[in-house]
Amino acid sequence: MIERRDDELSRIYRDAEGPRPPQRVDDNILAASQRVAGARRRHAGFRFARRWGTPVALAATVLVTFTLALMVFERESGLDAMAPEAPRTDRQAKVLPAEPRADQPGTPSPLVLRPIAPAPPISQVLQRDPVGQGPGGSTVSRGGLGTGQPAFAPEVPRAPDALRKREEAKPAPAAAAPAASERASVERQPPAQSAPELRQQAPQATAPPAAGAGGLLESASTVRSAGGFASPLAVSEAKERTPEKWLEDIRKLRTEGKTTEVERELAEFRKRYPDYILPEDLR
Amino acid sequence: MLRYGKGDAGAFEALYRRHRLPLYRFLLRQVGNAESAEELFQDLWMRVVNSRGRYEVRAKFTSWVYAIAHNRLMDFYRANGRASFVSHEESESVLEDLPAGEIAADLRLDRKRAVERLLAALGELPDAQREAFLLQQESELSIEEIAAATEVSPETAKSRLRYAVAKLRASLGKKS
Repeated sequence: MIERRDDELSRIYRDAEGPRPPQRVDDNILAASQRVAGARRRHAGFRFARRWGTPVALAATVLVTFTLALMVFERESGLDAMAPEAPRTDRQAKVLPAEPRADQPGTPSPLVLRPIAPAPPISQVLQRDPVGQGPGGSTVSRGGLGTGQPAFAPEVPRAPDALRKREEAKPAPAAAAPAASERASVERQPPAQSAPELRQQAPQATAPPAAGAGGLLESASTVRSAGGFASPLAVSEAKERTPEKWLEDIRKLRTEGKTTEVERELAEFRKRYPDYILPEDLR
Repeated sequence: MLRYGKGDAGAFEALYRRHRLPLYRFLLRQVGNAESAEELFQDLWMRVVNSRGRYEVRAKFTSWVYAIAHNRLMDFYRANGRASFVSHEESESVLEDLPAGEIAADLRLDRKRAVERLLAALGELPDAQREAFLLQQESELSIEEIAAATEVSPETAKSRLRYAVAKLRASLGKKS
């Protein structure tokens, strides 16, 4: 059903001068077409991102998580390997057992205690390192500073070094802090002091006679807070052996007629408390 | 058009260069003024641009683009309150009265005058017949393709074309 064109009419029609669209119309149309084609190319890029974005993000998340977990695991393993060699004094200082009560010496704190070595009797400890003879003069300070003395290490959750250091920078939490009377002096102590420094500081802290019975106690807690270790047993012993108690014991020895022992004890007492003013009867 | 759909701007430019003049002439001779023709022309090509993603090869690009042009013309006629497209039956009754004329001898010699007479007669044709004639001249579509582009049956398209040709020849056969 193809209608033959009227060639004569077509020829006349073709002779007509062909009108043309203005140049600006051409430009507008071509610019729009190119703009859209460019946007389409960009859309192709977006499509790629949309298609692969989620899997790539998931893969990256898994990779980062795995790497972090591996790092933490390796660090934990490293700490475990180091644990037997280096005493974790700084860590122990942060999680102190609750203050033992004077009326119940040796009462274990609510914190779980893990024995590091079998504890010999306290008398043996005193014999080996009598009070006032060591550089620190305190059984409390010597016992926990890696000297091989019997001690209890509290069961402390391990943390990476960085976390531990950050914790040290912060003040100790209220629950783990020493009793209110001691807290002020304890918190003033720089936490990163080494054990020998603390040994030297301990007698000075306890020296003033005005401190009285609290002096030794304070020194014990100072050492403890500064990174030294003190088991509840040692602390209670230190509490019992206040200067007054010691002097009382000497008086008892004198009444029993043990003169040499009295003199020896007095000499030890003077060594231990050089600034302590002895009562008239013991001078 | 498919290449343009994939982002090849050069493919669109090739299409545009090939079809711009026939399409513009088609629109201009249908609406009768350059301003409206430019507006329709630009709108038509923007529709082509925006259809790049939906384009499917169902017919020739020429048929598709002239179908868009036809639809745009319908909108234009409607918007301008122009009662257009004479029905097939009406045209047929008019056809009976038309003399099957020969082109006058003087017009055969004077091409310029012949063109003027033809274009004037073209402007007086009913829109549907003029459209059929212009589609045949400008797009070189077949009767079936013209019918598809103008959404009528092939018989209607053929009839419109025949009436258009007869009227034009008649106008050229008259003595001026």
